Amino acid sequence: MVKFYREQLENGLQLIIYPDYSTPMVALDVCYHVGAKNESPERTGFAHLFEHLMFGGTKNIPNYDDALQQAGGENNAYTTNDLTNYYLTVPKENLEIGFWLESDRMLELDFSQEKLDIQKNVVIEEFKQRNLNQPYGDVWPLLRELAYKVHPYQWQTIGKDISHIEDASLQEVKDFFYRFYAPDNAALILSGNVDREECLHLANKWFGSIPNRNVKKAAIPMEPEQANFREMTVERDVPDTALYMAFHMAGRTQREYYICDLISDVLSNGNSSRMYQRLIKEQKLFIELDAYLSGDHDPGLFIVSGKLANGVTIEQAKKAVWIELKSMQQELVPTIELEKVKNKLEANLIYSQMNYLHMAQELANFENIDRAERINEQIDIYRSVASADLLITAQRIFSESNCSQLNYLAKK
Amino acid sequence: MIDRTIQPPIYETKKPLIIKPVSSQLNNDIPVHFLQAGTQEVTRLEFIFDAGLWYEDKPLQAVLTNAMMQEGSANYSGAQIAEIFDFRGAYIQFVADHHLGTISLISLNKHLHYLLPIVEDLIKRPSFDANEFETLAKRRKQRFLLENEKVKVLCQKKFSEVLFGNDHPYSHTVTVDDFDRLASSDLANFYQRSYHAANCQIMASGNMDVSLLELLNKHFGDLNWGGVKQFQQKRTIQQLQEKQRRVVKNEAIQSAIRVGRLMVKKDHPDYVGLQVLNTVLGGYFSSRLMMNIREEKGYTYGIGSSVMSLNEAGYFVIATETDKKYVEATITEIFLELRKLREELIPEAELSRVCQYLLGEFVRDFDGPFAQAQSFRAVNDFGLGYEFYEQYYQLLKAIKPEDLQLLAQKYFDEDDFYTVIAGA
Repeated sequence: MVKFYREQLENGLQLIIYPDYSTPMVALDVCYHVGAKNESPERTGFAHLFEHLMFGGTKNIPNYDDALQQAGGENNAYTTNDLTNYYLTVPKENLEIGFWLESDRMLELDFSQEKLDIQKNVVIEEFKQRNLNQPYGDVWPLLRELAYKVHPYQWQTIGKDISHIEDASLQEVKDFFYRFYAPDNAALILSGNVDREECLHLANKWFGSIPNRNVKKAAIPMEPEQANFREMTVERDVPDTALYMAFHMAGRTQREYYICDLISDVLSNGNSSRMYQRLIKEQKLFIELDAYLSGDHDPGLFIVSGKLANGVTIEQAKKAVWIELKSMQQELVPTIELEKVKNKLEANLIYSQMNYLHMAQELANFENIDRAERINEQIDIYRSVASADLLITAQRIFSESNCSQLNYLAKK
Repeated sequence: MIDRTIQPPIYETKKPLIIKPVSSQLNNDIPVHFLQAGTQEVTRLEFIFDAGLWYEDKPLQAVLTNAMMQEGSANYSGAQIAEIFDFRGAYIQFVADHHLGTISLISLNKHLHYLLPIVEDLIKRPSFDANEFETLAKRRKQRFLLENEKVKVLCQKKFSEVLFGNDHPYSHTVTVDDFDRLASSDLANFYQRSYHAANCQIMASGNMDVSLLELLNKHFGDLNWGGVKQFQQKRTIQQLQEKQRRVVKNEAIQSAIRVGRLMVKKDHPDYVGLQVLNTVLGGYFSSRLMMNIREEKGYTYGIGSSVMSLNEAGYFVIATETDKKYVEATITEIFLELRKLREELIPEAELSRVCQYLLGEFVRDFDGPFAQAQSFRAVNDFGLGYEFYEQYYQLLKAIKPEDLQLLAQKYFDEDDFYTVIAGA
């Protein structure tokens, strides 16, 4: 049981406090409920560009890092399709510095054309480093575009087209800030060596006066059910041919999500998993093979991806994967095998509680889905899943017509 | 209304609580270090052997011997080993580096007595099955080829070769053909002389059970599990003469850059000061290299520098990736920053910020049982003691801009630096 406290400020800011006195440190995490899915299709990559701009200073605090480093602090941030999360850690004595810094950049940024231009360039270099200059770097944009026709999950956080970043104007950037960065669209999570009363006092002191911005988000278009098998083949200068298969599945709050998570664990979590033992070790068809969930909050994808052993064709590889998927649809997973993947989930939960920063991020993630309290419901849901659930769900999602397949061929 | 221009007071970061391990021995004299800390009932065990690539007579021997230990032993197949660890939600890892071959385990305390018999078997009686070896070598070879597509990997390899010469264990000279030249008998040989009690020590950390020593003795304290301690041969470093190198990778959009030189080891009196100097230059997010080359020029997504300490040598490296059109300008700026450190004093405010930041890092280095154990090994593996940390702490509070300028003049001479570029 993860014991934490929830408070709400008058301006709508949610406050979550998780004490862990085994560390001398504190994590302060601000989660804004805006991700790449909230962007307009003509203006993608903004949530992530914003993550960069948030370090450019405010009118009151021109240099964010300066004060934080003086306080012995460290910080970073990440953007997903669902959220933008900023976190810092400081020795507990200097917690108030964290409040001061984070509240001021929630209030207002010191925008300038010059800062925007620099960060645009940094993001463009990041795009090159991650997407263009890495072998397999364009897999995710291709697969997302194949699997999603309507939902904004069709683009990555870095953006659909780098020209969207190149063309971003200062006014657009400002508008984005005031539309999404607000106490009523955020959660503040404190974890580590913290006192509940002190946190509430500091939160009121520093965040309390930031106006509620009455954030209204446009409804996100839901992806219609896929009706036909989709396939795309590309040829690239990479060492190994790779196969990607994506199946639509339920969103993060649905029971089916948890069932899919267990299916993916049975198939590929750990060296004893089915696909590792059968397709990598015994049949030697793949050198790497994984089944996993995209982890998105709206309905997302169940993905099987693998790199083929030398001399194996896409057809052979595909057939072998389907045999494993069909077996999930036809035979009940033995109780002991299901027990194994559940044990692992439970052990992981205990391991993760050894890290206060990780806990802050977990709480932020659940709060973004809808409520942090979900963190304590996970194990019971997983425990309640039976082999029959796996079978029925496998039958529902593993069909050709629900599949988007990317064949990524190595140029010979 | 609150005045946001007034910064809340900053308090000096307190010295961390350093927990030292209790050192003991098994019946056969294997040293065991117990670092008791933390609240969750979790234990991490590291079985550390003198089995790194320093002791190889053929390339890849150390890494593949280590990796093959999870692929089957006298009493368990590779599949069974995997099954048992997964069932208990435990993680076992196999790593070989320059000097050491390590098997490490993280497990809930309550499962340790189920798992240690398997750990014992795979360490003492690995089977080195020829079929399993072939599969493993093939997969590693494909992964090797993939890694070699990356400019940063190509650059780092060439850089290590430039610094250490072609015939030194610190130089990454493995080629794709080495995978085919190795037989499972080569692994068995390497195993015989490396993985036994005389080359072993054990690090245990976490909120451990009191019976752990007894359990370890039962599985690893056997007097018959012996051997001769591995001899660490001297190897000579032969730096290449030419200071600029290029690795051509056609169609690469970005190029990787490494600029650096050999430097002192961890036991040298200048080492701790160099850590501070390195942080100013490129060791944290607001470093001079980041501010200049990323935040002002926008040439790169990231640039950093590090002081690397290995047992037998130390080196200093600045690393980045940038579009090929910015390569020359980036290198010019790097050398400009080195020159500035030689010629100008670091402003007090900047130095104070860096030292405060490093104090915070210092606390993080001792936060939690595994970090504490890591910090113990970071001195113990180098034959140093905890006084290293006391000196470091004192230095962070006392170091002056003048001290750092002297270090910069001593170690940041342009003529001593090598530059390697990998890209189109």
